[in-house]
Amino acid sequence: MQLPVLNDAPASKGGCSASSCGSTDNQMDTLPDSIREKVQNHPCYSEDAHHYFARMHVAVAPACNIQCHYCNRKYDCANESRPGVVSELLTPDQAVKKTMAVAANIPQMTVLGIAGPGDPLANPERTFETFRRLSQEAPDIKLCVSTNGLALPDAVEELSKHNIDHVTITINTVDPEIGAKIYPWIFWKNRRIKGVKGAKILIEQQQKGLEMLIAKGILVKVNSVMIPGVNDQHLAEVSKVVKSKGAFLHNVMPLIAEAEHGTFYGVMGQRGPTHDELQDLQDACSGDMNMMRHCRQCRADAVGMLGEDRGDEFTLDKIEDMEIDYQAAMEKRKVIHQAIQAEMDSKRLEKAEKAQQHKQEPRLTTRPVLMAVATSGQGVINMHFGHAKEFLIYEASPDGVRFISHRKADQYCGGDTTCGDGESTLQVTIRALAGCEAVLCSKVGYEPWEQLEAAGIAPNGEHAMEPIEEAVMAVYKEMAVAGKLDDVNDSIRASA
Amino acid sequence: MAVKIIESCVNCFACEPVCPSKAIYEAKPHFLVDPKKCTECEGDFPVFQCASICPIEGAILNSLGEAINPPGSLTGIPPEKMAEAMAELQSH
Repeated sequence: MQLPVLNDAPASKGGCSASSCGSTDNQMDTLPDSIREKVQNHPCYSEDAHHYFARMHVAVAPACNIQCHYCNRKYDCANESRPGVVSELLTPDQAVKKTMAVAANIPQMTVLGIAGPGDPLANPERTFETFRRLSQEAPDIKLCVSTNGLALPDAVEELSKHNIDHVTITINTVDPEIGAKIYPWIFWKNRRIKGVKGAKILIEQQQKGLEMLIAKGILVKVNSVMIPGVNDQHLAEVSKVVKSKGAFLHNVMPLIAEAEHGTFYGVMGQRGPTHDELQDLQDACSGDMNMMRHCRQCRADAVGMLGEDRGDEFTLDKIEDMEIDYQAAMEKRKVIHQAIQAEMDSKRLEKAEKAQQHKQEPRLTTRPVLMAVATSGQGVINMHFGHAKEFLIYEASPDGVRFISHRKADQYCGGDTTCGDGESTLQVTIRALAGCEAVLCSKVGYEPWEQLEAAGIAPNGEHAMEPIEEAVMAVYKEMAVAGKLDDVNDSIRASA
Repeated sequence: MAVKIIESCVNCFACEPVCPSKAIYEAKPHFLVDPKKCTECEGDFPVFQCASICPIEGAILNSLGEAINPPGSLTGIPPEKMAEAMAELQSH
């Protein structure tokens, strides 16, 4: 079965130009070698790599210098997964110990990020002490930091000293009027500054910091939170601006807002975007900018592959008892990383060849279809439907297969089997898959099978252990042969 | 004459480095102010530094025992709206 693998450009717009390709595997081929070398084993920056490599965050940075309307500084919940939430705060010493313990036990962990729970650069001593020690004691780990940007210009010099080649800046707007609706205040030059005035300073600092990082040759990714009715119409402009200044990747994330989070947006009833709204915006931005679509909006203390959290295995009392021989661990890690890299390279080649073959086939005229995939990594369909906590969403079309997003099966809380209104986990999952016409997994039980079919989502367990893109294209072609795709109108969107 | 940090403090460390008098220190279960050292920033700044960066409404009191950042002043959430949302959650 032939398959092409597409990039971020929407199928309807037909391919993407070399200058605007982004984070998926063959898009990376268009990046300069220097950048590709830096991101090819980075799960957060490379869609391809996130099937193989893991990341962790250490929560050493509690203080913040601004307030965002999607954040609540009080919240700390073990069951919640979103940025700004942690279970235990670490000292730099504890963070170094934890990082090395994780690196030794999860050799696929290649990246250590500091992302909060406050702003890393509002805690410069704790953040830089952690980076300083890790760059000496664990030189095989990539170091990353994410920031709101307010203190960034003052930190660029120090950042450039510590082996940090990736910085993420959260830029939700370049317009102070919009900023005032997102940021109620900033702390700046010994004062709390509210409203438009504060937002204006923040925006200036973000842009200045971005320019300074680019001038230093540090890779910059920009995160934006999509807030319907606030900045959704404006983010394409943000994409243009940050791209023109040299950011290499734009990650548009959906607002997470629930009343129980106690955030301004949650309590005031601000809604997040629908799957379609998010996808439309990402597609609109992708003409100007490399878009990232596999972000999981991790907690500030997450550990493991994207979408999983193994933090419980590495709590302070547990790492206390671990004896780590990091030299030995580094040797082992090196061997494993090389093996993964070789596997990724060969798969990439295979995909390129298949894409080439696909071009020579007669072109289908069928409509695009969304499909959900259950995977635990390695780029293959290898997870049981009932075990999947999230699904990867792919779009199949005559142009090929492209990765669209992930969707959480268990929403944002992990404890109960039922939600407030008595909805079962299965019902929640089926709702999360709205708009998909098939779900590919290693196995599906009898009960979910019936309910999925009733919801118009064809369960499919026939492609277990097969590469995702290949299987999605195979199912798409079966659907075409069965005459299910004859209407060329955009019925996916209508039913989503 | 001193400010006071109370139990709603979330231990975020933000206030400690901005205190011009080094009056704030880490303690259990939350940060505390040494009343002998606190000057209420007089002579250094026109506004309380700790209360100007603190993200938690009501966590820092002035010498009269009043919240320097009263409910709603930092998050912009009207207190009655917050109470309503919390009551709604309790009822589930």
